Amino acid sequence: MSKKANKTPEQQQYEQLEQKHELKRPVLKNCIRAFWVGGLICVVGQAITYFYIYFFNFTEQTAGNPTVATMIFISMLLTGFGVYDRLGQFGGAGSAVPVTGFGNAVISAAIEHRTEGFVLGVGGNMFKLAGSVILFGVFSAFVVALIKTLLIIWGVI
Amino acid sequence: MKKRLLSFIAFSLILLSGCSGDGKVTDSDLALLKTTHPPAVLIDKNTKGNLDLVENIEHDVEKMKELYDVAVVKSNGDTLVAYKVKHLQRFHMKKIEKKMTKMLEEKYPDENFIVSSDYKIFIEAVELQEKMKDPDFTDKKAKKKLDKIIKLKKEMT
Repeated sequence: MSKKANKTPEQQQYEQLEQKHELKRPVLKNCIRAFWVGGLICVVGQAITYFYIYFFNFTEQTAGNPTVATMIFISMLLTGFGVYDRLGQFGGAGSAVPVTGFGNAVISAAIEHRTEGFVLGVGGNMFKLAGSVILFGVFSAFVVALIKTLLIIWGVI
Repeated sequence: MKKRLLSFIAFSLILLSGCSGDGKVTDSDLALLKTTHPPAVLIDKNTKGNLDLVENIEHDVEKMKELYDVAVVKSNGDTLVAYKVKHLQRFHMKKIEKKMTKMLEEKYPDENFIVSSDYKIFIEAVELQEKMKDPDFTDKKAKKKLDKIIKLKKEMT
């Protein structure tokens, strides 16, 4: 049975009324904003990569790790200062998808639960959102590494 | 809010620009931004055969149309070839490296080549070439620097 058939006439009427008043989401505008904000974050990341290549002993291959750490640190600071919230409001997915969104997720959860105490509040809830990123990140890295190891053992690559 | 934003931008600009050093800008400082075309470097017995060999290697590599800047450093053990790949060709980085290694090994079977498309390696090679102009910079020091570059190239993480 379809969903619509389950609804009473009042419910259907209400649905029509709701659809009439519902605001349309500006999808294109959101996409453009996300593109720009995400792109700008990546430009900053690229600049930091070049900074590490120029002034430290990092190659293009190895500069990625400190760059990611720095970007997360900057976004954590900006979240604390309340700047990243505004950026997130404006850029949407553009500010959440890059690695800076991870820093934001950690610190915003920590701030939110600060009133519940340092151990059970901040400590217990800090990774509420970001925990899944770490879990699935580590797990998928393990699976990919396993596949690569097997392929090397079998002599495919 | 606007004032805060402006002061934040001004602060970050000051932080990013920093001091400009002693005002002397060398090619290695700009190697990331522009084409430098550094001459080939020889850290070995200064014979005509050796000089011709490095020059030939550089010419052969420069002939590849995917590249736009090449630096060659030859010591008595290894020959370092650092190059920059044209932006859109960077998708085929691995293929280009394979092609170049094959070409070089076929043409110069007696040499031990270390090939790298890494910007850092290129910058270091240009820096070495600049230092070689200084008469106080001995061959021993140059060899040590080349070994450092090769070690850097082999670093994975």
